[in-house]
Amino acid sequence: MAFNLTRRKFLQSASLAAVALPLSRAIASESGVKRSPLEAKGSFKDETVVGGICEMCFWRCQLVGKKRGGRLVKLEGNPKSIDNGTSICARGNAGIKLLYDPDRLKFPLKNVGERGNPKWKKISWKEALDECGNKLKAVEDKYGAKGICVFPHGSSAKYPMHFFERTVGTKNVSEASFFQCRGIRDTAYVATIGKAPGEKVDMPNAKVIFLLGGHFGENIHVSHIKRYLKGLQNGAKLIVVDPRYSASAAKSDIWVPIKPGTDTAFLLGIMNYLIATKKYDADFVDEYGDGFEEFAKGIEEWSLEKAAAACDLTVQQIKEVADLLADNAPNVSIHPGRHVSWYGNDFQRQRSLACLTGLLGAFYVKGGWVPAIGPKVGKLSWEHKEHEEEFNLNLNSDDELYHPFTPPGTPTELIRDAALTGKPHPIKGCVIWGQNPIQTIPGQEKMKNVLRQMDFVMCVDVMPTDITMWADILLPEVSYLERYDYIKTGTQWDLSEKQQQFISARMPLVSPLFERKDQVFITNEIAKRMGYEEDIPVKTAKDMVEKNLEVAGLSLAQLKKEGGIHIQPGKNPYNMPDDFEVVFFNEDIEDAGFPGVPTYKPVEEPPAGFARLIYGRVPVHTFNRTQNNVWLHSAMPTNPVWLNDELAAKMGLKDGDEVGFINQDGIKSRTTTIVKTTPGIRKDCVYMGHGYGSANPLMTVGVGAGVDDTSLVTKIAVDPETGANGMRNNFVKFIKDGKIINIPTAA
Amino acid sequence: MQYGMIIDLERCVGCHACTIACKAEWEVPVEFARNWVYRMGPEMVDGEMASTYYPGLCNHCTDPVCVPECPADPVEVTFKDAKTGKTKTMEVAATWKDPFDGTVQIDKSRCLGCGACADACPYNARYVNPDLVDDVSEDGKADKCTYCKPRVEAGGIPACVQTCIAGARIFGDLDDPNSEVSKYVKKGAKGIEPDGGELGPNSRYYGKKKDMSLLFRTHTPELADLGSARRRAMLASLAKPAIKTIRNLGLIGAVGSILMNENNTSEDKE
Repeated sequence: MAFNLTRRKFLQSASLAAVALPLSRAIASESGVKRSPLEAKGSFKDETVVGGICEMCFWRCQLVGKKRGGRLVKLEGNPKSIDNGTSICARGNAGIKLLYDPDRLKFPLKNVGERGNPKWKKISWKEALDECGNKLKAVEDKYGAKGICVFPHGSSAKYPMHFFERTVGTKNVSEASFFQCRGIRDTAYVATIGKAPGEKVDMPNAKVIFLLGGHFGENIHVSHIKRYLKGLQNGAKLIVVDPRYSASAAKSDIWVPIKPGTDTAFLLGIMNYLIATKKYDADFVDEYGDGFEEFAKGIEEWSLEKAAAACDLTVQQIKEVADLLADNAPNVSIHPGRHVSWYGNDFQRQRSLACLTGLLGAFYVKGGWVPAIGPKVGKLSWEHKEHEEEFNLNLNSDDELYHPFTPPGTPTELIRDAALTGKPHPIKGCVIWGQNPIQTIPGQEKMKNVLRQMDFVMCVDVMPTDITMWADILLPEVSYLERYDYIKTGTQWDLSEKQQQFISARMPLVSPLFERKDQVFITNEIAKRMGYEEDIPVKTAKDMVEKNLEVAGLSLAQLKKEGGIHIQPGKNPYNMPDDFEVVFFNEDIEDAGFPGVPTYKPVEEPPAGFARLIYGRVPVHTFNRTQNNVWLHSAMPTNPVWLNDELAAKMGLKDGDEVGFINQDGIKSRTTTIVKTTPGIRKDCVYMGHGYGSANPLMTVGVGAGVDDTSLVTKIAVDPETGANGMRNNFVKFIKDGKIINIPTAA
Repeated sequence: MQYGMIIDLERCVGCHACTIACKAEWEVPVEFARNWVYRMGPEMVDGEMASTYYPGLCNHCTDPVCVPECPADPVEVTFKDAKTGKTKTMEVAATWKDPFDGTVQIDKSRCLGCGACADACPYNARYVNPDLVDDVSEDGKADKCTYCKPRVEAGGIPACVQTCIAGARIFGDLDDPNSEVSKYVKKGAKGIEPDGGELGPNSRYYGKKKDMSLLFRTHTPELADLGSARRRAMLASLAKPAIKTIRNLGLIGAVGSILMNENNTSEDKE
């Protein structure tokens, strides 16, 4: 797609003096004399402002801003940071292009067209807030708090989420970061070791790093990448299990091109082999294990041969991995993963990862899973109120949980099904804050139907994302560079170095333009209108941050004085807590009607002519949030589909061919992308980067660029223990020049 | 001295931070880049699967082919060694190789915007920046990586090096045998020499054997056909505004300071 945005066009489209750039061509004056500075000044000598915390993704690196005449011209890593240091990634660097994106939401808007096909009318904040408050109040009066659902995402969504959850009292909250991402990981580890694992692996000090689907380099979190690379530089062997030769596979010592969906079988094969050959850490298991006998018995059927057959690998491939792990235990990083909502059989896989870590004795040891000990800060927010009516969509008529190992909130499909059927009760008010459920949650048509039946839909965002087309009222939020908000805490990333903790708070680097407002203002105003004025916990976002810093004996002024980051002595993280245990066989899971021993559940195979659609990250985008960023777009303007080169030859496709897709339900992609043929992907799947192909024409850069993979995920899988989605169970054929091309299935 | 940059492909994760940081620092137009990241593979290299990156930028060549193609009238310029204060006076067109730090630079005020140098560069490291216009050139000015000369002279490091999340970009003096970059050269870091060329690229790559093979196999350029560059240069010379060329005048504006030109104060203050 040809794309050309000269600065002049940019200025015209933005039509704002506020975004005029220092190098903009001076328009010919009457004298015809043109003057333009010929050298960019560079930011080196510009004013430095501290207190930024990035939110181009959710790792939250610490920033400084470079300012020139009130404008932010560049973002850099805060040199004082012991987390990211002076580094920030492509997205972090491109933050100013979000800040000054001419397509950004600027004013409160009312939809005078229809949902999904909006006509926007600019309205005043008063009118917008009245509308939101009154409409949500009307829903609450008619249906109770349970008639409201919330789809939040990001730092700024926490405060409004707590208002609706704790104060108004609805449990119908679906956070993308749980139900379409990492919730399964957290609850599976909690059921195994009693703690959510984060990504707390001590990679710099590991002898082996084991990644199951993790593709660092395509997925970027700065200090995590630093950990990973330090480990590799220190000589760690890298094992990458992935159907595709990913960015991390390219650095691996062993690449295991596993059949998609069979990861649990792979892990069971390894674990049974370790037990059968006594290569596991028996002392650790004796000391800290629980239910090991049942576990060992429960997985004994998983010979290497059986696992190899299930995973379409050789016995040798699995044995090699198992031996390398055993030979280097306990100093092995078994990475818990991050985005884990893959196939609807994911809870068992995540349990397996936690159990494997236990078998190797790799908890609280150098190179293993080690939770750093960070500082404490306050958590001021809305109070939990008593509510007359307790309801929970996750409870069946016998008061048992459908999905007992659910993350906080309510599983997305339970909310959507209730909304669509009106049973057990209607859901008629919808608050969407920083999330884009259209491109985040599988089943776009289902989501649209959920929205169609609402009495009221409000959206708060910085960009006109796809979901905003469905709002009745659309409110423009300040960005992470223009508000007080999150307090970032942590430690130095290499746990073997001097133990240090840090505290840093997000402070605005620039004042908001137009009529953008922050989450505390918007939520409080809606609360007043819904009759909850006396419950308001804090008047401004700044006050909230001040009060939360007080808990740590700090203030914003003090932080500023310390260069935006306070550093204090840390604690040795390598000490095993007395009560630590690894629950290999979990009776509670069994009692709830699920396998208490990690169990492999096969997923559906691709039908003839189709390949499985798998997706992942590209380094320049975060989910679907950054599509319209002109710098990021220009770095990777589309998301090529990876196709095995032998299949491509049979299909008559070559590199650069433009293709669309049709999935097993007959759903076609709205747009096209280009083919990338490679031997580095299996024949039973095709792959594309996620976060492309926006449908909103107001996203003038991102609209129609690449293919929206989520639009092809129409078959919805739900992980039964957790209620989270599985999103890699859909199958596609290619479309070229209007013709459907079957994929010669690799039989 | 000769400044150089090493890209350590064992560390590089292909994240594009370098590209975007540079765009921010030097206000590079969206559709152009002073540095870039291409991904190669996955493909088979000597029987092994491989995939790596080509984070490219100007090579500040030892013997640059771009410099001789500039048709701007030469003027005498006195260069100064930032470290020792030594000076050297040479005749240069609108682009030259600095006698002290070895970087290749452009005087935008004298650039005719003809694009001859961009045509001549086999690496496509130069482009004509349409945002930069004056009475000398309506079409823009040649632009490229400067190794962040203004930042470096002010005591900083290049913006791409500063932001690199992987520590994969190492900047320093290749003539100093004890520098980090020289150590990499001893370990086998290599520049990408065009087929049949002897330019001596000073941006160099280090990595595993298979990754280096893949990089050099896929991104070794041909030398540019200088015919088109010369036609451009010729046309530009013919069309040049009748500005008297002043020769032997000694110093026309310290070129070194052009880059740090403090007169850029045309901020739109509307």
